Amino acid sequence: MATAVAASASLSSSFAPRNHHRRLARPVTRRAAPVGLAVRCEQSDKQKRKPLAALVPREERFMFEGDELCGPDIWNTTWYPKAADHVTTAKTWYVVDATDKILGRLASTIAVHIRGKNEPTYTPSVDMGAFVVVVSSSQHTIVNAEKVAVSGKKRTQKLYRRHSGRPGGMKEETFDQLQKRIPERIIEHAVRGMLPKGRLGRRLFTHLKVYKGAEHPHEAQKPVPLPIRDKRIQKTD
Amino acid sequence: MTRVPRGYIARRRRTKMRSFASNFRGAHLRLNRMIIQQVRRAFVSSHRDRGRQKRDFRRLWITRINAATRVYNVFDSYSKLIHNLYKKELILNRKMLAQVAVSNPNNLYTISNKIKTID
Repeated sequence: MATAVAASASLSSSFAPRNHHRRLARPVTRRAAPVGLAVRCEQSDKQKRKPLAALVPREERFMFEGDELCGPDIWNTTWYPKAADHVTTAKTWYVVDATDKILGRLASTIAVHIRGKNEPTYTPSVDMGAFVVVVSSSQHTIVNAEKVAVSGKKRTQKLYRRHSGRPGGMKEETFDQLQKRIPERIIEHAVRGMLPKGRLGRRLFTHLKVYKGAEHPHEAQKPVPLPIRDKRIQKTD
Repeated sequence: MTRVPRGYIARRRRTKMRSFASNFRGAHLRLNRMIIQQVRRAFVSSHRDRGRQKRDFRRLWITRINAATRVYNVFDSYSKLIHNLYKKELILNRKMLAQVAVSNPNNLYTISNKIKTID
């Protein structure tokens, strides 16, 4: 076939302008890779996808239960979640009351739950965590005050800094002032520092919902009280 | 001096590298000079990460086992589970423990009961 094409092409090329038929004259053989280096991906992929039945000798097959032999190999490949394992609509929602809880300890528990590190299905590259809603049921007469607590003199001495990018543009304010101005930002700042930084971390951060006051708009998600194992999280005094 | 073209030696060497760069991005898979650099970096990463892979997976298994022991109240923590496993000389490696934790959590109870009853 190839030689016939070449013959007819060379005949016609003598009567027609050269450049036009140059491509037809030479049959082009395409190789994916040079001869010495055969790409082996296909072989190893097939090996990975073989069911256990192919690898286990007949005498030892009794050791395995029905499903393990024909299904995917769960004992030689570490489990990785499928899309169905982390559907956003099926995630748990937790609610925490931040009143009189130590800031850092609370943020730490929240971050662990958002990241999903408390579950055996934890995977660092996949969002397997839960949603956390933080409210503060304030029983004080001060309206709209987030009642998160800090120990020591941090209330007046802990500084929150930000920079506008311009020279001399550093702005700082104390914990107290920020709590009066935008109380949600305190918890958000704390939790964001404890979540991983990167694309996934930014998405995890959107799973944190902080509200000042006792109401939150997520009643439809039926949030469960967040299980806290830290014994020193409640501010005593 | 006669004209001496250099032949196909360099071209063969470069086409050898090209096959490794077939799934790179943009100019990194088309231009020879970039292919040489990027393929070299890829090989370096590959070599280094083969060692890291072993570390990373062990880390992942340990985190999963830790979470599982706390969720299923098997022992209070990963450290206690491993300590007890070693005391009773049960040689289950972490990879297997992690897979058990994810796929068949009831077997974690079986393991912990076994640990508690061996004595």
